[in-house]
Amino acid sequence: MGGERNRNVSDNNAVTGGVIKYARDNIDTDVIIPGQYLKIHDYAELATHAMEGLDGDFHSKAKNASFIVAGRNFGCGSSREHAPIALAHSGIKAVAALSFARIFYRNAVDGAFLLPIEIGEDAYEGTGEGDVVTIDVKAGQMRNETTGRRYEIKPFSEIIGKIIEAGGLFRYGMQQKQQKQQQQQQGS
Amino acid sequence: MAQNASTLFEKIWDSHEVLRNGADGPSLLYVDRHMVHEVTSPQAFEGLRANSRKVRRPGLTVATMDHNVPTTPGERRLPMADQTSDLQVRTLEENCREFGIRLFGMGSPDQGIVHVIGPQLGITLPGATIVCGDSHTSTHGAFGALAFGIGTSDVEHVLASQTVWMQKPKSLEIMIRGRMSGPRAVTAKDVILYVIRKIGTDGGAGHVAEYRGEAVSDMSMEQRMTICNMSIEAGARAGLVAPDEKTFEYLRGRTYTPENYEEMVNVWEKTLRTDSKASFAKRYEIDAGRIAPQVSWGTNPGMTCDVTEAVPDPAEYGDGDKSREDSARKALQYMGLEPGTPMTEIPLDRVFIGSCTNARLEDLIEASRAVRGRKIARGVSAMVVPGSQAVKRSAEEMGLDVIFKDAGFEWRESGCSMCLGMNPDILMPGERCASTSNRNFEGRQGAGGRTHLASPVMAAAAAVNGHFVDVREMDMQDGAV
Repeated sequence: MGGERNRNVSDNNAVTGGVIKYARDNIDTDVIIPGQYLKIHDYAELATHAMEGLDGDFHSKAKNASFIVAGRNFGCGSSREHAPIALAHSGIKAVAALSFARIFYRNAVDGAFLLPIEIGEDAYEGTGEGDVVTIDVKAGQMRNETTGRRYEIKPFSEIIGKIIEAGGLFRYGMQQKQQKQQQQQQGS
Repeated sequence: MAQNASTLFEKIWDSHEVLRNGADGPSLLYVDRHMVHEVTSPQAFEGLRANSRKVRRPGLTVATMDHNVPTTPGERRLPMADQTSDLQVRTLEENCREFGIRLFGMGSPDQGIVHVIGPQLGITLPGATIVCGDSHTSTHGAFGALAFGIGTSDVEHVLASQTVWMQKPKSLEIMIRGRMSGPRAVTAKDVILYVIRKIGTDGGAGHVAEYRGEAVSDMSMEQRMTICNMSIEAGARAGLVAPDEKTFEYLRGRTYTPENYEEMVNVWEKTLRTDSKASFAKRYEIDAGRIAPQVSWGTNPGMTCDVTEAVPDPAEYGDGDKSREDSARKALQYMGLEPGTPMTEIPLDRVFIGSCTNARLEDLIEASRAVRGRKIARGVSAMVVPGSQAVKRSAEEMGLDVIFKDAGFEWRESGCSMCLGMNPDILMPGERCASTSNRNFEGRQGAGGRTHLASPVMAAAAAVNGHFVDVREMDMQDGAV
């Protein structure tokens, strides 16, 4: 389980899917995955409790959706990595929010569980529940296919892009190590 | 600005930076102390095992079990009634055995909440980098350490390499000027709740906060821990206080205090402070004298007011910010509160005195002052969950357990307990609780549970009155304590 919690966002290709919208700030990790479920080791089971603190229908909604759109400070609170894992295993490929709490953002990236996409007010206001959107990290764009509008997304810093591309922190580290070894071999 | 003027945070950062990726980072930081608990570590150990890795520095790693252990006396043994908790606890035991990590297990006299036992055992040290798979790791910053929470992937990384990647945060100054108006009625908890209320739940985002000023210097180490503990609730990466003689004295002679401690103190005294010419990226200033006892009314720690105030009107609270207004409206709906209701007229069902924020010995002493010789109000059930078994023993030596039990409180074994509702200690839907913990998020203490954050003395006074009261006006006896 440990090595393969979820690596489903390890490419930079555009992803298209439905939106679940929570028009609120400060969605905390206790509503994303309540504490009582942190004992669950089976990620499919964990996912059935995702967002339970806020939206009892999330799990069924997520079957037809790929994205969450939300306000400021998404994922504040606890350091539980179960939060991005529960969302990822519900089928969420990316959370597009006005801003993220630091540990959630980092967990999402380090485990390559899902893409934390920082969006502007325009994209937040212009995207509604059930809209179909395409998130294209390479193009730096979020397209709302339902309304036809396009929005810029904040680009990932170089290293975050690389970690996501590699499929998580450990894979990135191993790649770096291999590259270094190759360079040394070529140099000698 | 002087060339080499640095903040305390920058000094600790620089002395732990192993390498930097390009000019702008992130940096690889050396980790001096890694604390591990049962909930965020199993997958990290599995990852090590799957890749045939070892723990790089088992001697710098310690573990305890705190999140899901029962706190009911007599139930702290294996097998535990809850099978999934039982599995997590056993898994931690096995992992510690296999990887050679010191464990303060459920039966250990040193068991307790990870952020309570670190300082208590002398594992937490000034100038150190400290990480743990828990957001309240910021607590250890009270000793002038750079301490922050990490997720499980990072736990695995630290176990394997004793390092962690991090983008360098900026320095934030939170200056708390003056002195508190009622030193034993207005506490460190009120200060930090007031700070979060003023700067917001993301006011510290991207920064490491340094708490400064007379009010902070005046505080005991345990009070400073309460402040630093809730730094994360203001969105800060970490919070810290420059060490002083109180800091050094607190750690003297503890079980794991290093042998060459006095030599270390000599160095720390000269180095671990922000240079007078250093600049902070952001500053906030708070007047301690204006701070009244605080109570949260909403569903994040920023939604807090003075105990003398009433539940706010969402439109007024929003002050033109629609999103803020909506958040307040949703919060009041969840909390079952009407705008305009005085905070002192909200009836309570439960009182929880515990957590890594407020379950140290001083917290229990302060709470006992409001309880001595009184009984908890009809219809209220209340409990005290000491932060560690050592805190529990000390409190019992002082007779605090008798004061609480005589008043009708339950007196428990140590653990995280009802702060986050992972063990059997939870609120029932709709129950309203005065809690000394750190988060009033929806469902945090149990699905549908309603949390009001407050200080230990405020929570204790609420237990005997059945509702919050302004403890500045309460007659409190110190008795033998």
